Amino acid sequence: MGGADDEAWEPHLLEEDDFLREVQSFSFWFEAVEGYLEDRPMGFDPDLTDTHFEPAEREQLITLLANYCVGETAALEASSGLVRLAANNRSQIFMATQAADEARHVEVFRRRLAALGVSDVDEVIATRANPALIEFRRHLLAFVDEGQWDLAVFAQNVLLETMEDTVFRFHQSTADPVTAQILEGVVADERRHLGFGENDLGRRLARDPARRHDLAQVRMDLDPLVLNSFEATYRDLGLRRDEFPDLGRSYLEAVERLGLDT
Amino acid sequence: MSARDPGTERGSEIQGVLMADFLSQYSIQRWLEMCPQGYLDGTVYGHDPDETEPEELLEIGSLREASIAVTVQLIAGERCALAASSGLINHAPDDMSKTFLATQTLDEARHVEIFTQRLIDLGVKREDVNSTVADLANPNLVRFAEVLLEKVSSGDFVAGVVGQNIILEGMAFSVFEMLQAASAGNNPKFAQTLAGTIADERRHVGFGENSIGGLIRQHPEKRAEVEKMQAEMAYYMLATFTEMFSDAGTRMEEAKQLAMAKGENPMEGVSWHGADLATVTPSEMEAVLADTVLGEFKTRLGRIGIDYQTPKVPA
Repeated sequence: MGGADDEAWEPHLLEEDDFLREVQSFSFWFEAVEGYLEDRPMGFDPDLTDTHFEPAEREQLITLLANYCVGETAALEASSGLVRLAANNRSQIFMATQAADEARHVEVFRRRLAALGVSDVDEVIATRANPALIEFRRHLLAFVDEGQWDLAVFAQNVLLETMEDTVFRFHQSTADPVTAQILEGVVADERRHLGFGENDLGRRLARDPARRHDLAQVRMDLDPLVLNSFEATYRDLGLRRDEFPDLGRSYLEAVERLGLDT
Repeated sequence: MSARDPGTERGSEIQGVLMADFLSQYSIQRWLEMCPQGYLDGTVYGHDPDETEPEELLEIGSLREASIAVTVQLIAGERCALAASSGLINHAPDDMSKTFLATQTLDEARHVEIFTQRLIDLGVKREDVNSTVADLANPNLVRFAEVLLEKVSSGDFVAGVVGQNIILEGMAFSVFEMLQAASAGNNPKFAQTLAGTIADERRHVGFGENSIGGLIRQHPEKRAEVEKMQAEMAYYMLATFTEMFSDAGTRMEEAKQLAMAKGENPMEGVSWHGADLATVTPSEMEAVLADTVLGEFKTRLGRIGIDYQTPKVPA
């Protein structure tokens, strides 16, 4: 069985029946996370020695992690709400695995904040949250509350997951060893979620091409929030504007695979 | 991994311990260590990969149909638990409760999956699973679920957790234990599948007891509503038991005769809450199950400061 941690594995390229049987099960999830979490309680090797941070570096990392918590909490709230909206049991089961993944991400990022000496994690998250992410969360949860499965899956499993996947990969390449290992496990999860979103929406759009217009409208509303969040992240990473990487490309590629040009 | 099992802790034992410390026992990390990396390690759909349903269960129509009917009720209950636990996450008052409920959501999804797989193992076609569940789910069990899901849909966290983690899970815990005792001798596959779910349910019940007591004390005005819900859910539960056991006599006798003809009696010497499974009648078994579950309700509700309400007896 292909695993989510296999770089070459692309779940959205599987045939529909194979895809559903393969990835929308507890067993698949179990095997996937077991591979990369077994020896990493709280997402990292406990024998790793943590880095000594300069005060400015520590503050940058705290702000980044606080915003990761905002995004992951939004995903936890949305994916748990989507369990009841799912059209079939397999999608329900997948969303349940995603809810557990998102809860784990919240947990490991909050623990990392505590390990960095943050005594009131909730307060730090509240004061450092990027308003664009808060606004994104509001849109996402509104789709869930309105019972709009495909809009919510698009916002969460395509836009939010792509944004996180892109940022986390970039941050992982520059992060301290502990944070990098935590991000490595989170990225492996995000790829699974993204694969589900692309496959689910791809099939829905093939059946109902007119729905493409609604998703494109969602994209127009949320793109600015995503791009704003990217910029905030670059600043939190201490990059100058001329050093900003082109992280928007991966985001755009994933969205365009669904043919959702604005 | 700590040897302490949060599911067996009691409210009185956590007095003086910060709720945050207590809830940390229900982290995703701890869940990973206990469940997928613990008692589920090496299993497929909750059982040893080499185990299968017994041949006679698949070959004798009445036994197979009875097993399908029982499995359908398990799926119906677990689907309700999945909807309830996921629906409660957004109403949870703190991150650690959200985290626990996320693990419970995944547990319930796993239970739906493994019991659905059992239905397929019993010969139900994959494409017929939903229609089979719709046709055979007991209407009283469906109503039981609706009472709970109405509370969840309205965002009532206290009633939702009591309804799910004490009433529904308490019922499931005892039913699974009973089925496991009855299956241990002649269907190791099903018995092992149930063992994993029992371990999960124990954790869920423990969370319900330990997390909700403080909220009940903060919101004493919720008590009357929660007690009314408990009486209603208990009524539909008893009605489900009555209907499920009403035509079980012939099948239980058939299974017993079959085993005796093969020169064995897998129930010999097996008892559950004082009932000798080799000789018990369906009505006696129903009474033992009802008494056990209601007794558990009374004890667990008492721990969180809720007065147990005796349900009406189904006609």
